[in-house]
Amino acid sequence: MPDLFDAYEHCRFYDEMFAGPGHPRPHYQRLHARFARLDGMSSLLERQHTADQTFVNRGVTFTVYSDTAGTEKIFPFDLIPRIVPAHEWAHLEAGLTQRMEALNLFLADIYGSQRILKEGLIPAEMVNTSKHFRQEMVGMPVPRGLFVHINGTDLIRDESGAYRVLEDNLRTPSGVSYVLENRQVMKRVFPNLIRDYRVRPVETYTSDLLALLTRLAPAHVPEPTVVLLTPGVYNSAYFEHSFLARQMGIEIVEGSDLVVENDRVYMRRSDGLAPVHVIYRRLDDDFLDPTVFRKDSLLGVPGLVNAYRKGNVALCNPIGTGVADDKAMYYYVPRMIKFYLGQEPILHNVDTFLSSDDKDLRYILENLPKLVVKSVNEAGGYGMLVGPHSTQAQIEEFRGKILAHPRNFIAQPTIGLSRCPSVCENTIEGRHIDLRPYILNGETVKIMPGGLTRVALRKGSLVVNSSQGGGSKDTWVLAADDQAQSQTQSGPEKLIV
Amino acid sequence: MLSRVANLIYWMARQLERAENTARIVDVNAQLVLDLQSRLAADDPKSWEPLVYVSGGEEKFFELYGKQVTERAVVEFMLFDRRNPSSVLSCVSQARENARCVRDLLAMEVWETLNTFYLKLKDDDFARYAQLGSAEYLNRVKAQIQLFYGTTESMLPRSHEWWFFQLGRYLERADSTSRILDVKYYMLLPDVAAVGTALDMIQWASVLRSCSAFDAFRRSRRGQLTLERVVDYLVRDEVFPRSIAYSVGAAGQALDQIVNGAEHLRGNRASVLAATLQDELRRTDMHEVIAEGLHEFLDALQVRMNDVHNAVQETFIDYPTDKAKILA
Repeated sequence: MPDLFDAYEHCRFYDEMFAGPGHPRPHYQRLHARFARLDGMSSLLERQHTADQTFVNRGVTFTVYSDTAGTEKIFPFDLIPRIVPAHEWAHLEAGLTQRMEALNLFLADIYGSQRILKEGLIPAEMVNTSKHFRQEMVGMPVPRGLFVHINGTDLIRDESGAYRVLEDNLRTPSGVSYVLENRQVMKRVFPNLIRDYRVRPVETYTSDLLALLTRLAPAHVPEPTVVLLTPGVYNSAYFEHSFLARQMGIEIVEGSDLVVENDRVYMRRSDGLAPVHVIYRRLDDDFLDPTVFRKDSLLGVPGLVNAYRKGNVALCNPIGTGVADDKAMYYYVPRMIKFYLGQEPILHNVDTFLSSDDKDLRYILENLPKLVVKSVNEAGGYGMLVGPHSTQAQIEEFRGKILAHPRNFIAQPTIGLSRCPSVCENTIEGRHIDLRPYILNGETVKIMPGGLTRVALRKGSLVVNSSQGGGSKDTWVLAADDQAQSQTQSGPEKLIV
Repeated sequence: MLSRVANLIYWMARQLERAENTARIVDVNAQLVLDLQSRLAADDPKSWEPLVYVSGGEEKFFELYGKQVTERAVVEFMLFDRRNPSSVLSCVSQARENARCVRDLLAMEVWETLNTFYLKLKDDDFARYAQLGSAEYLNRVKAQIQLFYGTTESMLPRSHEWWFFQLGRYLERADSTSRILDVKYYMLLPDVAAVGTALDMIQWASVLRSCSAFDAFRRSRRGQLTLERVVDYLVRDEVFPRSIAYSVGAAGQALDQIVNGAEHLRGNRASVLAATLQDELRRTDMHEVIAEGLHEFLDALQVRMNDVHNAVQETFIDYPTDKAKILA
């Protein structure tokens, strides 16, 4: 029988599965052998079909509203998992924890005494000109001293296989519902393989998140009410909002469901107004409160910010975290780690040039065709120039933009993201991937083992965003040999017999 | 429960109940046409036109399909046309949109049942209906909706979500049953001379069937099919679950459960209106009603049910914030 990977094309990028043609890496050998037992591509495609159908029936879809029929699409899912061996994960976990601690200290500082600015490690104007810096929040205490609760840090692997941080997402990182759903589907499609591999479970994420949210409530409230605030059902991430609310057993509310009376927040229930103590908001700062931020926001709650200031309601993430995931601020994270923690960064950034720096600007302008230029305020792969894949006209357009607003851009060398075998039409081909782990900052820093592996399904594409033709894979973090024992003992559910 | 969510569930139930009743009406008519084959050609406008009036969408229908009332046009309009907000597809689609908004409250099976149904239904058309035959096709549609009710019944906790679901479902059902009766009275009856004839009997049987009431009526030992007996059964029977009195009663019980434990909602307008209406139905003499005009009676009934609906909205959904009770 032909090996499914016979025709697999190898190239200069780091390959997650193969060390060389016909040589799977040790942690992929079992999967390689399992796939060899499949009855060729048709059997694999059958499973792919089952998986896709499961997503459709479960309604794990997003709607394309440009189309009047309301076409629903699934976020494409690829059957071949990304496998992360235990020692690699231990390294990532240490690096991400360190980064989260530094970012929290940075935000505490920026909204406090601003030591890092006074000591000149970061130019003050970088903070003052950041679109997401909220002057209104300076000096305001936050519950439990936590200035950020949830971060989705995007990681990539370069040509040598080294993990690097591509960006942080400290506002409302999305995608975690796909991680949980992907695992459900993989359990149906390859149950034995998951068991044999001793894949670490991701399912405790929602209870960890709920515990974190509950802890943020004002101290005097014995049984706090936590809600999830969504922009509404037409938001592309609505599935996730509803999924998380359901998993946590909390109410999902829209702005119009909440009212503020005497600086306290209530939700409109059929029997009257019920108090709300913690809001997991999936709405950017700008839209939270039309009396403070954007006046035209219909999604927010008038008076919410005052209630927050008075400490009557907690917000997750707090207001103003966006200043730390500004792509220009990213450049300074290694300095933050040294400054606040006195440590060397465990995970490195991607080399980055700031167009606000004269020397860097010159380099950027001379090398545009080789660089990736990103707008500092945009997410989702928008407002971005991929030099090697762009026309002269597009490059010139960006040159103009950069010169007009140097503060608004950064540039990075084009990085050959690692590739992972993926099911493409009727073959298996290498596709570029990244990884977004979800980091919770509560009583301690907690990281779900795994995260969202996004895959650029378009051949040759380096852009993994779902809005740009990306899909996802299940991410399998393997239990270490010595962890197997302790894991079965320490799992909280297993203790309660 | 959040007011917005209560409203979504209430409407989800109403839409599905409406979809089911529409399917029932089309089904019964298709069978009736077979019974009448010798008297009326299947394409005689008289065989299909009444349906358009049942749904209250006659203006829209004539605008979209012109004056030519064929089986095909009516079936398309009532089952598959998204431009008709009361078509089965529109109702199921709306119900599903609502369900999507409240997915966090519904068990996965409840959502999957409705979602899978919608995904199948949206690709159906008249050709599919004709290919399977009306009876078979509509049975499948009804079975899908019943499956949804069954799943909901066995999965939904008996808290507010369930009672708002029941409230919407029974208010819609009471309204549908009154419309079915009204249309029969005005449209199916060729002329006064036909009252009491074989044709008249077949038609009253068909009205009972469209409410799945034929066998139940027989078992209720009310004797021969007559206008008065059928109308009395469908309006006032206390135990048949599609009668108006039963439906209004069930809606009232749902309201009782909704306000249960909330002192400040005791004696709210919706509950009072529903209770008064039920009480009056109990005391109504159908013989007198028919003598004075059934249509006027049914019309007034629909207005009263609409008052209950409005009171529900004002009490639980759109109440003014500044006058609302702040809960502990």
